[in-house]
Amino acid sequence: MPKALYIDPEVTLRPQEHELKLPVIPVMKYNKTVKEELKDGRFSKEDLLRIFRDMSYIREFETMLNLVKTTGGYNGVAYNNPGPAHLSAGQEAAAVGMAYALDTNDFIFGSHRSHGEILAKGLRSIQILPEDELKKVMEEFWGGATLNVAKKAYSGTDTKELGIRFLLYGAMAEIFARTTGFNKGLGGSMHTFFTPFGIYPNNAIVGGSGSIAVGAALYKKVNRKKGIVVANLGDGAMARGPVLEGMTFASMDQFNTLWEGDMKGGLPVLFNVMDNQYAMGGQTKGETMGYTFPARLGAGFKADAMDAERVDGYNPLAVIDAFYRKKAYLLEKKGPALLDVVTYRYSGHSPSDQSSYRTKEEIEAWEKEDCIVAFGKKLIEAGVADQAALDAIRAEVNSNIFECYKLAIDEEVSPRMDLVKQDELLGEMMFSNQSIDSLSNAKPDVLMPLEENPRVKQIAGKERFWLDKDGKPVSSMKSYNFRDGVFEAIVDRFYKDASLIAYGEENREWGGAFAVYRGLTEALPYHRLFNSPIAEAAIIGTAIGYAMCGGRVIPEIMYCDFLGCCGDEIFNQLPKWQAMSGNILKMPVVVRVSVGSKYGAQHSQDWTSLCTHIPGLKVCFPVTPYDAKGLMNAALQGTDPVIFFESQRLYGIAEKFHEGGVPEGYYEIPIGEPDIKRAGKDITILTIGATLYRALEAADILKEKYGMEAEVIDARSLVPFNYDKVIESVKKTGRIIIAGDACARGSYLNDLAANISEMAFDYLDAAPVVLGSRNWITPCHELEEAFFPQPSWFLDAINEKIVPLKDYVPTSNQTVAQMRLHARKGI
Amino acid sequence: MAQVVIMPKQGQSVESCIVTEFKKKVGDKVAVGDILFSYETDKASFDEESKFEGTVLACFFNDNDEIPCLTNVMVIGEPGESFEEFAPGGEAPAAAAAPAVEDVPQDTTATLGTLRGGTVSEANGGVERSETVSGGASSNAGVSPRAKRLAEEKGVDPNQIAGSGPGGRVIERDVIAAAASPRSGLAKAMMAEGGLRAPASGTGLAGMVKGSDLKTRKPSHTDIAGEGSEFQVEKMSNMRKLIAKSMYNSLQNSAQLTHMLGADARKIQALRKKAKKALEEGKIDANVTINDFVCFAVIKALQKFPKVNSHCLGDSMRIFNTVNLGCAVDTERGLMVPCIKHAENLSITELSKALKQVADDCRKGSINPDLLSSEAASFTVSNLGGFGVEWFTPVINLPQSGILGVGTIVPRPKDLGGGVIAFVPYLGLSLTYDHRALDGGEATRFLKQVATEIETLDIEF
Repeated sequence: MPKALYIDPEVTLRPQEHELKLPVIPVMKYNKTVKEELKDGRFSKEDLLRIFRDMSYIREFETMLNLVKTTGGYNGVAYNNPGPAHLSAGQEAAAVGMAYALDTNDFIFGSHRSHGEILAKGLRSIQILPEDELKKVMEEFWGGATLNVAKKAYSGTDTKELGIRFLLYGAMAEIFARTTGFNKGLGGSMHTFFTPFGIYPNNAIVGGSGSIAVGAALYKKVNRKKGIVVANLGDGAMARGPVLEGMTFASMDQFNTLWEGDMKGGLPVLFNVMDNQYAMGGQTKGETMGYTFPARLGAGFKADAMDAERVDGYNPLAVIDAFYRKKAYLLEKKGPALLDVVTYRYSGHSPSDQSSYRTKEEIEAWEKEDCIVAFGKKLIEAGVADQAALDAIRAEVNSNIFECYKLAIDEEVSPRMDLVKQDELLGEMMFSNQSIDSLSNAKPDVLMPLEENPRVKQIAGKERFWLDKDGKPVSSMKSYNFRDGVFEAIVDRFYKDASLIAYGEENREWGGAFAVYRGLTEALPYHRLFNSPIAEAAIIGTAIGYAMCGGRVIPEIMYCDFLGCCGDEIFNQLPKWQAMSGNILKMPVVVRVSVGSKYGAQHSQDWTSLCTHIPGLKVCFPVTPYDAKGLMNAALQGTDPVIFFESQRLYGIAEKFHEGGVPEGYYEIPIGEPDIKRAGKDITILTIGATLYRALEAADILKEKYGMEAEVIDARSLVPFNYDKVIESVKKTGRIIIAGDACARGSYLNDLAANISEMAFDYLDAAPVVLGSRNWITPCHELEEAFFPQPSWFLDAINEKIVPLKDYVPTSNQTVAQMRLHARKGI
Repeated sequence: MAQVVIMPKQGQSVESCIVTEFKKKVGDKVAVGDILFSYETDKASFDEESKFEGTVLACFFNDNDEIPCLTNVMVIGEPGESFEEFAPGGEAPAAAAAPAVEDVPQDTTATLGTLRGGTVSEANGGVERSETVSGGASSNAGVSPRAKRLAEEKGVDPNQIAGSGPGGRVIERDVIAAAASPRSGLAKAMMAEGGLRAPASGTGLAGMVKGSDLKTRKPSHTDIAGEGSEFQVEKMSNMRKLIAKSMYNSLQNSAQLTHMLGADARKIQALRKKAKKALEEGKIDANVTINDFVCFAVIKALQKFPKVNSHCLGDSMRIFNTVNLGCAVDTERGLMVPCIKHAENLSITELSKALKQVADDCRKGSINPDLLSSEAASFTVSNLGGFGVEWFTPVINLPQSGILGVGTIVPRPKDLGGGVIAFVPYLGLSLTYDHRALDGGEATRFLKQVATEIETLDIEF
């Protein structure tokens, strides 16, 4: 809600133009011959022959994989490749044309069908990189492990020729899950990439790159890095929400209306649709989509229709022509742009696809148009080469592929990880666990000295503990609260790390829906703090792309319940990339997630358990200002994805535990350490989230009425989690209740209970008792008492399941019989 | 008329605001739209514009004061008009000024307090802990792992404790209490028999657990298909379970085998006749039976074979220098084995009377439980002769080292010498002994000694 943008009813209600004019979208306009191009001097003969060669490499690479999958070998050398192989034979001109106009500062992101794009971009990078640079890249990669094997396929001294073996071998070894592969064999066919050549992750989730690539472009823009970003997507991916959300995000007006100085202008991202006509067995044109051509989509997002074009992807020169123009357009800060590259996939979706949905005639008709054969003919016609020269190129290509193939399947030189013998190896790769003050060498862009910030001044006047000097409670207005704790940690990092940016569905003038960011608007320019569209998939997806490229980012999900809207990004992308890249990538993303209350079934859910279930995410849920600041500092100092939960019940709460109040200076609380909020000896209560305060009430009643002293432990973090303090406590008390606001069934509470049972079985006087919310919808605020664990539930559960309390009459039914009844009913 | 300016309520959750600056002071003239003061909530700042024209007559607060929403802040009117009635704390505005809302958790305290208040009053009368135990859903509620550990440390048998946990589970506090609480001799004896559980503290002096405080442990029984049509399920009596347990334990935990030997019974048959006659004549006051004579002979033999008169304790032997004779008694409730202490001191008639007495006590249920313990007897005799059983393999009452089974008397051919073979009455003797305690030679010699004693018993009446 920027005040600078005035919504004028005069203009809005009574516009001068009464038609919305959409730009004309060019279709297949390129019509130059090879001869003409030679005459214009855009290509040398050598360039044209290399284009032919690169297409041949892709074709043979995919042919090799297809033969391995379908016949169990290649050129008589048997190999079984059980993994996936989504092949792109037929699409070579589109891939090579794409890569030709790019240099190593330009990043490409891909799909499950991206072998061709990797090879094309790799071959082009090898061609244009200075020899010494190329040599350095190869020698430093995995300490030379990949290069050392690749050298066995080449005995000459030409660095670029060696580079080709390196590329072919590194990609194959990755596809065959070898430690010498580009990602140590942990990515595989659908995820292999090589950042020194500007090749960024491909994605096994259709359309996954649609928002991640936008984040990479955002990184380039905010951090003033060279180059453009290309999102290679299929025509099928045009149906995916995250792609459409990514396009929306990339097309935001604010880049031109609100971002200032050198930040003004569009994102350098090109949505490049490899329009191969099929999406699984569905045919996009005529069956599963209604867009006629993907190029039409651009008009929906941006006034200039993203400068969209449909080009001939069977002619590499047509694609190159389009890419030169799009790149220039993006470098003029007019992005995003959209290209619809017409092509055709010969193979099925995968080798198990028998193409039962298309006719033999159709495939044959396209094979007659084959892009390599056709380009070869054009070269002969133009006198660039004769058939024999072309045949020689193909023979050499085939021989190189074969040599690399033999090395990549050789267990001796290309071993796989031994995860049985080294059973902690992959575990150690799940997190990068680094501690880094700043991910940028630049001076942070800020608008004022921190001490002049109105929020900072306001906080300075607050009491940092809930009691004043005389031991009297401070009024909520004057006490330092939870949101102040989060704010202090974040503003501190904004002034330390120039790469840090934050955004969400309201992050700026309003100060965030819950006022945590109040004061940041004054401190930060738009490019570091901005409002995003209502597009959770893009919010998280772009953050992933931003972090992949080396930046630190705080995306915000306004209500925990909206995690479902970015399910793929939170569950499939954010947690996976560090390990899946072989630890090449870091993922310093702190996702702030606000857990609601009062707003009913779709705004009040605690979904921490969903996040703990997914390996690769750190999860914390502080509930005091001291913990909030310390954990946020730790999260922002790290290099791992952290889902940072905050409770809307507690934004205004003061610090009640940390003696001396919340420190003014910087401090970290390690993620994973629970905290004893109250010591006791008779029963342990372990809580997640805001339930802490209800547990403390229960502890008061236990003490007053039943003389039991409860030890109350706040989990603070869920993943990782150090059980030491909890087990120590249970050894002392013999009893434990684990409580939180998540619906009990399938919750992390049960995980904790089961683990504690195993770790402290002999010390337990009763089975650990779980107190979660009912397995219902969250009812309206007035009825929440029946849904979320209440103080009385603790006593009821203790009486029924742990130790009968004298003269006690329960208020809720916490019996085992009730549990069984509920389970039988599924509630 | 004077107009009041109140602190607006900026949203439902805002209860108070801080005035950052009063832009107008008392005496200032204001027009509609003039900014009176700036204020802020935790989330945002606002300016309050005047809706009235006039002079500021009163301002009840200073800069930086925190003011509850809807409280009167200023009064605007014509100079001279009264304004005192608008001062906060007066009746009208006070009602509007709600107390600052505390954080949610405290909110619920209030609600809960009321709730509990209701339930506590209903809870008068309370529930007896012991009732909870016996009335639990399953009285086979088990022992918590923690209680088990502690019981081991304290040397308490958790199976003999009545639990106070949910459903009667034995929990830590029960073991602590049990380890500390005294028990009467009777309670100890009854518990030694098993099948009973003691509450953590009893009704005796200083919480002493008395026999009457003991609770029966109820077994659980599982439904089996066919009940009713093919069979009935009857729960085993405690006695039955006790016997089952000790017999099973005996066979599981010792090396038992049985030797059988016949004893010429002519002598004791003659003695029986003599005793009967003596009773009729009033010379003695006990009906001395064949079994009494056999027991008498066994006592004599035991004195000559102290190793048989013993308990086998696994790694040591308890050799008795007195004979505490156990005697198996068949009762309606099942097999019982009372014991006669210092039996070697008794005459045949005293022994006879003592045996009769304990048997009667068993059948009446008035037997001293101390005499029923398998630890009480040093050796046991079991007589099935009355039922016509010739030989059998009695089961040792552990930790005793042996048991003698006495069979019926049957005629057997015997070489009387001089080519004469005649039928003589023979008594079947079956000695089961624990091979851990005794070797076959010793056992055989003892058994032969019993036979010899029987064959040579000489008693005057």
